[in-house]
Amino acid sequence: MAKQLGRDQQGITLRGSAEIVAEFFSYGINSILYQRGIYPPETFTRVQKYGLTLLITTDPELKNYLNNVVEQMKEWLYKCIVQRLVVVISSIENNEVLERWQFDIECDKTAKDESAPREKSQKAIQDEIRSVIRQITATVTFLPLLETACAFDLLIYTDKDLAVPEKWEESGPQFIANSEEVRLRSFTTTIHKVNSMVAYKKDSFP
Amino acid sequence: MSQDCNDEWELSKENVQPLRQGRVMSTLQEALALQETSIHTAVQLKKQEFESEIRFYSGDDPLDVWDRYIKWTEQTFPQGGKESNLTAILERAVKALHEEQRYYKDPRYLNLWLKFGNCCSEPLDLYSYLHSQEIGTTLALLYITWAEVLEARGSFKKADLIFQEGLQRKAEPLDKLQSHHRQFQIRVSRQTLLGLEETPDEKDTGLLGAAELQRSSLADLKGRGKKKVRAPISRVGDALKATNQNRGFQTLTSQQLSNNPGFAVFDENSASGPEIPVLTPQPWTAPPAPRAKENELNAGPWNSGRRPRSSANSGIEAPCPLPSFTPYVEESAQQQVMTPCKIEPSINHVLSARKPEKEEDPLQRVQNHQQDTQEKKEVVMYRKDKVYAGVEEFSFEEIRAEIYRKKTKKKREEEMQAIAQKKEEILRKIEELEKKLKKKEDDKQQQLHEQLTEITEASPPLGLQGFTFSSATEVGEKQPQLQSESQVSEDTQLHKPSCSEEVIQSLDVCPDTQRGNVFLDSEDEQEEQRDEASLGKKGVCLLPPPDPATSFSIFDESSTLANQNISCSADHIQKSGQRPLAVRKPSDSLTAAENIPPETCDELNGIEPLTEDAIVTGSYKNKTLCANPEDTCDFVRAAHLASTPFHGVVAQRVPAPAFSQNVLKEECPESKSAPLNQETLVCEGAYNEALCINKLSPIMEASLEDTRSSGSSVSSSGSSLSSVTQISTTKYLHIPEKLELAQSLPAEMVTDSGGISENITGDDVTQFLWSAEQRRKLLDLMPKSLTASPGIHLETGALPVMEFEKDVELGGRTYCVKREYCTNEEYKMFFAILPNFPQLDAKGFAIKVYSQPVPWDFYITLQLQERLNTDFDQSFSENYSCYLYQDGCAILHRDVNRFTLGDFIRGCKSITEDVVLLVVYDLLSVVEKLHKAEIVHGDLSPEVFFLGDRICDPFANDERTSALKIVDFSHSLDLRLQSRVSLPNSFPISQTPHGQQLLAKNSLPYQVDLVGIADIVHLMLFGDHVQVYQENTVWKISQNVSKTADSAFWSKLFGRILNADGKSTVPLLRELREEISDMFDSCFQKRLYEFLAALGETFLLENFL
Repeated sequence: MAKQLGRDQQGITLRGSAEIVAEFFSYGINSILYQRGIYPPETFTRVQKYGLTLLITTDPELKNYLNNVVEQMKEWLYKCIVQRLVVVISSIENNEVLERWQFDIECDKTAKDESAPREKSQKAIQDEIRSVIRQITATVTFLPLLETACAFDLLIYTDKDLAVPEKWEESGPQFIANSEEVRLRSFTTTIHKVNSMVAYKKDSFP
Repeated sequence: MSQDCNDEWELSKENVQPLRQGRVMSTLQEALALQETSIHTAVQLKKQEFESEIRFYSGDDPLDVWDRYIKWTEQTFPQGGKESNLTAILERAVKALHEEQRYYKDPRYLNLWLKFGNCCSEPLDLYSYLHSQEIGTTLALLYITWAEVLEARGSFKKADLIFQEGLQRKAEPLDKLQSHHRQFQIRVSRQTLLGLEETPDEKDTGLLGAAELQRSSLADLKGRGKKKVRAPISRVGDALKATNQNRGFQTLTSQQLSNNPGFAVFDENSASGPEIPVLTPQPWTAPPAPRAKENELNAGPWNSGRRPRSSANSGIEAPCPLPSFTPYVEESAQQQVMTPCKIEPSINHVLSARKPEKEEDPLQRVQNHQQDTQEKKEVVMYRKDKVYAGVEEFSFEEIRAEIYRKKTKKKREEEMQAIAQKKEEILRKIEELEKKLKKKEDDKQQQLHEQLTEITEASPPLGLQGFTFSSATEVGEKQPQLQSESQVSEDTQLHKPSCSEEVIQSLDVCPDTQRGNVFLDSEDEQEEQRDEASLGKKGVCLLPPPDPATSFSIFDESSTLANQNISCSADHIQKSGQRPLAVRKPSDSLTAAENIPPETCDELNGIEPLTEDAIVTGSYKNKTLCANPEDTCDFVRAAHLASTPFHGVVAQRVPAPAFSQNVLKEECPESKSAPLNQETLVCEGAYNEALCINKLSPIMEASLEDTRSSGSSVSSSGSSLSSVTQISTTKYLHIPEKLELAQSLPAEMVTDSGGISENITGDDVTQFLWSAEQRRKLLDLMPKSLTASPGIHLETGALPVMEFEKDVELGGRTYCVKREYCTNEEYKMFFAILPNFPQLDAKGFAIKVYSQPVPWDFYITLQLQERLNTDFDQSFSENYSCYLYQDGCAILHRDVNRFTLGDFIRGCKSITEDVVLLVVYDLLSVVEKLHKAEIVHGDLSPEVFFLGDRICDPFANDERTSALKIVDFSHSLDLRLQSRVSLPNSFPISQTPHGQQLLAKNSLPYQVDLVGIADIVHLMLFGDHVQVYQENTVWKISQNVSKTADSAFWSKLFGRILNADGKSTVPLLRELREEISDMFDSCFQKRLYEFLAALGETFLLENFL
């Protein structure tokens, strides 16, 4: 996928950028699901990616679901019509939103008309992505323990005029009332810039 | 974008313990940043705060304090550790609250226990102990946590039992417990299933517990051990929960580790097998302490028994095989970024192994503690509970201080409340009185009115004073009576048109505290019943000779009130608020006279350091010491000359308020200042007091004793309104250097104003310009001419208190103060008449009182007289004298009309333009003269101009009389003396909107007066302040002058005056003045008379009687 592009040419095209970002989402969501214990840890397997050991799910259904989402994302990223991806973690019991991982995407729409690739080495992008994923891992230092069983949901913010594809539905933003927000690092492919942030319930803090 | 601030937590992530409830990012960042700088003061302070709150908490929920303390600790010490002292805090908390049965069902208390459990070596013991003690047994959290720990250790059956127990006891919230139970069951079954699939031979592990596992893995150990050597990780708690496989693996590794003698960690795991069955199944029937002791004993042989075996195995352990993995090294990480070092290297050079933990389990301590308390025999004779309540030890002094602080705080609050109440009452009364007054004035008949005005006009402030006294004495001395007093006064308040009997009654009821009220009420009564007035006067007489400090302290508060009456008296009070200082002044001035030569003021302003030259070359250098053997001050001076170690004054300038208070108390016991006074008055007096004291050399302080007592006794008697001169003269008459003494006084004031300008920041420049020290310096240059002038009278003792409607003695004559003009902190203007003297016209005496012994007005007037010669006419005070006291001065202007131009403008709805022309004519001429004499008035406003005879006295026919008289020169500058002053923006007028616009930084000081003129003229013409705008660099007024009759002239006047930048003012003013005089025609005088006649009826007659 993105690797071909990185190897062949030193530069980022729109398609390549979309692939890189979509791939990041794939690994990022997997990491979150593992780190936050949404799925049992034994259903994850290790892979080497971005110079890190990452865990990705082996659950076939989840894998399938994620692949679908990521493919869809890739398409939208290519069209530069996606603005935000949000991983919402909510309690199964009372559907209360406990955590909200938000990835804001800034698309450089001018890239659609350009033919020349942008100058940025893939390694540089990978380094940036790596630091984002590392931060996701490090968030355990401050995130509250998820005491109940949780489910996750993916929200994608797109431009308004987009027709909702099959198997997708419109949804509210699912904000957390009284939340603490922490910005994480961001990375950019020069065409897509991804800012990450996590919000979590702030309860009974002194 | 926010990467910078994110770095910290990420870099230190290993040092941050995860919290169940999560962390606040801001606190985390702060805590991590704090450690870097290793400045913990803020944290320490907060900790101290909690510690003292624990000890002195007075609410009904002590748990809350602990809860907050612990939460704060968790958040603030992200890495936990010894520094946070969390274990100790938790231990104290559970211990301290153990007696409180009501908390046993409180989830917060349970939470403390559970957190404490994490610190214990064996949380399971703790849980069963809690169970036995019925702590939190109604809460689901206990069972959930308990079961979790059991599950983590693999005791699924027991975990299930615990859940069952919880469900049986209907622990709240039940649904949460149920869902946890469900999930637990799901986990167990899934793991069992997985176990079945993958390792059929280990199928039972889940249910059989750790004991089974250990055995099988022990057998495997030798084979596997060498291949996979892992870092000795001993996970407890949640991590163990992971997977069946993981757990198997972990027990495996731990088993392997058990061979190593060095790791005591291992006991726990291997112990859990045999120990748990003993501990958990029966719910702790016996008291826990003995069991704990048994455990302790058991530990000994256990360890020793193992030792030989492990030593035998050590040979195998010795070769350290290479790890089978290659640690990942980032390509980009050439230069390693160090994780911030959290341990100070100077303290900990090497990571040393911890000594085997000998300390007993905290849980045991808690249990022991409980037993101890049960069979306590010794009686503690100190407040042990307070000393050891928190984690840190408090000293007795700290406790005492805290108690004291609390007491004073409470007292102060009460006082404040009382004062607020008082204030409200007073306000209400004043309002009512005013309303009444207005009503009265509307429909009263002329005759009755004539008799009454004098009294009614005076009444509101009088009533005020009555109140002040009563409240002051109360606050100072009679706390408990406060309530009843205010109650009574409220009563009287309620029946407002109260009959006189009632008033008298209440007087009988509580004569002591009621005085003020009675007084006020009776004042109120006066309008209706004249005889009541006599009672009111009795009220005055009844009042004890008011101690200046006490009686006014309260009023500082009300100084903010908009009401004019109040603000007047407030000013009054503010002035007397400095009394403690004034009282002490005599002594200080004697001693400090030489110490503080003119340079001191500079030094206080941080401009110029004090030099010893000042003493040597000072004005006193050639004076004979001890010219008068009676005069101890000379002796003191001599002592000071001998030792003058007073350089470090600046450094000592910020004394602790407490200190200065003490000083105050000690130094002037006579002044009996109420505590409130000291604390609320911005400690101004105290501040200065301390300043002075710091300056004294030890010798001086010792030798002060004598002079002080005599000096201050004089002043205190002086302040009590009566016969100042008699007493004071006996003391001072024979001092030959009387003059010099008076001169040296200002030196004392220097410290005063230094303190003031400190307090009023922002006004520094102004203060500097108008400050007494500045002027004193100037005046010092010409002491002879000033003091030699016939008008000046040097008085000893303190400035007499000037009060409205009170008699005051100046220079041997008694005057009755009839009116107070607008005043400020530094000075006041009064109007007085001779008492018992029929007042035939509006004439009387204007008394200008300075709170500092700098006769600036006198000086200016003197200068004017000198420089103007024949031009010095009725526009200025021709008959005046100055009384210079030790702490202030009063200038008496005779033959001054009662009314100011301000009254005039306010009094008549419309002033005919003839009169305006006349006034402006005089105004211009006055200012012209001033400027000719190179004096800038600086604060021209309708209030500073008294009406001259031309207006006030219709029968003063000649044209020589002036329409205006100016006597007040508070903000004047003598440009001959202060030639370099170019600070027009420090004049009061430059604070006004128009002043700000018109006065540039570099404009000449004369400019200030022009702006003043413009404003006055505008006020007379249009009734409001001048508003200006700039058009093509020309200043214009916003009002349209075309409506006026002489619009051409007015527009010219404004045009010239507003745009006079840089030009000489004298010719300009003369030109304008001459233009007016051209406009006076023959009928002018007649028209003026007509107007004045009308004016006399509506305005003058009504008010001056």
